[in-house]
Amino acid sequence: MTTERVRVKGLSIYRPIIYGNTAVVLTPEEREAHPSREHTHRWTVAVRSAASAEESDIVGGADDLGYFIRRVTFKLHETYPNPSRNIDKPPFEVTETGWGEFEIQIRITFIPEAGEKPILLYHHLKLHPWTASGADVEVPPPADVAAQLGPVHSWQYDEIIFTDPFQQFLNTLTAHPPTPLPKARRRPVPFHIANPGSLEASKGGVPEFSSAMEKEEIQRLEEAKKSVVGEQEKLRASLTEKEKELERLRRELGEA
Amino acid sequence: MAGASAADVRSILSLPNSSTPASTQPKRAAPLARKPSGISRELYSLIGPSAPTLVAQAAKPRLKQKPNLGSGGSTKWEWRSFKNPARTDGLELGHWVKANTDPSADYPFARYNAKSADYTYTQDEYTKLLEDPEWTKEETDYLFNLVREYDSRFYIVTDRYEFATGPPRSMEDLKDRYYSVCRKLIRSRPWAGDEASKSQIISTFQFDKEREVMRKKYLLSLENRTSKELAEEEALYVELKRIEQNEKRFKQDRDRLLRTLLGAESGLPDLPIDEDGPLGDPKKKKKGVANELDSPATPSSSLFASAVPRRAQSAKSAAHDAMHCIQRTDGTTPAGTTTKATHQAAYLRSFRLAYPKAAVAAKVTQIAAELSISLSRLVMPTRDTLAQHEALLEGITTLVEMKKVTDRVDQEIRTAKMRLGMRESETPAETPMDVDEDVQAPDTPGEGRAQSVVSTRSGRSRKQTGTTNDRRSVSVSSVDTSATSATRAGTKRQKFS
Repeated sequence: MTTERVRVKGLSIYRPIIYGNTAVVLTPEEREAHPSREHTHRWTVAVRSAASAEESDIVGGADDLGYFIRRVTFKLHETYPNPSRNIDKPPFEVTETGWGEFEIQIRITFIPEAGEKPILLYHHLKLHPWTASGADVEVPPPADVAAQLGPVHSWQYDEIIFTDPFQQFLNTLTAHPPTPLPKARRRPVPFHIANPGSLEASKGGVPEFSSAMEKEEIQRLEEAKKSVVGEQEKLRASLTEKEKELERLRRELGEA
Repeated sequence: MAGASAADVRSILSLPNSSTPASTQPKRAAPLARKPSGISRELYSLIGPSAPTLVAQAAKPRLKQKPNLGSGGSTKWEWRSFKNPARTDGLELGHWVKANTDPSADYPFARYNAKSADYTYTQDEYTKLLEDPEWTKEETDYLFNLVREYDSRFYIVTDRYEFATGPPRSMEDLKDRYYSVCRKLIRSRPWAGDEASKSQIISTFQFDKEREVMRKKYLLSLENRTSKELAEEEALYVELKRIEQNEKRFKQDRDRLLRTLLGAESGLPDLPIDEDGPLGDPKKKKKGVANELDSPATPSSSLFASAVPRRAQSAKSAAHDAMHCIQRTDGTTPAGTTTKATHQAAYLRSFRLAYPKAAVAAKVTQIAAELSISLSRLVMPTRDTLAQHEALLEGITTLVEMKKVTDRVDQEIRTAKMRLGMRESETPAETPMDVDEDVQAPDTPGEGRAQSVVSTRSGRSRKQTGTTNDRRSVSVSSVDTSATSATRAGTKRQKFS
């Protein structure tokens, strides 16, 4: 047992996750039946594995994260009854109704074998449809229009990294290799405000994360870097020119 | 037997046959060879294949196949005029070309007019990276100008090199300085392509002065041998060969003797017989030396060689690692130092997103926004995207800092011009235009600026003293900012990592 509590040095292991929410507009009938009349949306906030299962109607969640996550705590707005929701079993998600967007604090606690502290992350609950600019429209579209646009998805991909894990924990992790992301896009792309261009591609069904998105992002950053380097070259050329001129002027000043 | 065969020579020299397998090969193959035509079967079975002269005479004369001289009709050639894009004067010359070539195609030899990449550096870069106690900036500038002028032909550069105040420089000195500056520039500047192409281009600028000097020394001593020394060397080499072969034969004899005495089955399966002789394989050795000598002074090949096996080794487990999302950080944290206190807690990848320095954050974010990139978050924060993101951020930061330096230089140019203008107007105004032309003579693209000098001068001459003091203080303060930006650049790396 003692050998199990040894850290494996020079190694880090990560697990791809996604966190975020899905929101749908309540139908008029549902609103009638609901105890609090002002609620307009039903939403689900969740922490899941990044890859989506075949034919599933949710974003991500192909793998059960319970093998390394012991508990996920979602801290909702204080106006909700019992705002701190502890979820001890997968699926790690909370479904609620409401009328407004707010920041949700998510605390992920790992299994004791990990010997790691919980990590905190934040998610802005997204109820209203995305716009290309990424900014919220002043007035959200009326309920019937929003309902026609379909469910709103707001998901963030991330990777939980364990550095120098305990041997035992490493064994646990390697016993559960994560489902790899699909190479190519099979379904709509999850919209992200860092990539406003993906708005069109995000429409038409349940989105799915794919490794093509990573490639696309690298390409986007590379393009930007290329133009930055181009600008630099231009600027450097003019700077060299100017420095030469300055030197010439100084020489003249010195001579005169 | 007509004439002495190679085997005879060898036996005279008491060299064993075995060392030349090439000569034994055809002998063994000969009996198996088919009977040549033009000789009767009976005769052939009598004399066998050892009648070369007879066969050569009896065999049908075989002529070389006629070369195919384009039997498909003659080619039409045309006299066409062409322009060489390498010329600046647009001179048109004519030449014969095949009629079936495309008349609109470029001059095919134009592509050999390749310009080598031209590296320049700013004052800022020089002070940050390129300082060298052996070299002044002026001399470095001079060197770069010469290299540019003579298109990196270092023999000519060395020949023409005449820097008055500098020490005498050998070609290796010049090359060393030039290549090391280029390497530093490439390394420090953001690279648009991937890392592999960057290291590749750096390796083309690799120059090892010590090695190059050594190589030339060797070559020189090789060239300076007298014929007597050459003969001695040759004799020694033959002697060495002989000793080696004797040694080998002696070993074989000993081996055979041992086998016959003890019996092959009595537990002596393999006596260690090293085939290479006392000095190892002489051929190999010689080849190695030759390689050493004629390989160019770019240790890039050895660099790659050392890099390859490591990659190959890790490639084995790469698939396993990729499946389990394992990333190895070989040796960055020395083993045994990770205690509970220093252990890095679990974190989200996006927590490690690089952020711009506070001093330039606003401008950096603005430029990023113009490129429609959000620096504060990524869609897919993975190791690769984070690296790209950091490179981009670094590039933008450099750009912003460079802009700052440019602004300062602009300001200084303006100040210098103003002072110059003032001085001119102070001198009794005889023909101010003449003076002006004098000033801008060495620099023709400066016309626009010269005009601005003219236009501003009239206004400024009235309030001379006030502005001078003003401008001076400005230039002082801008020097100040340059100093701080330099130190800031020093701390930059830490901030990013």
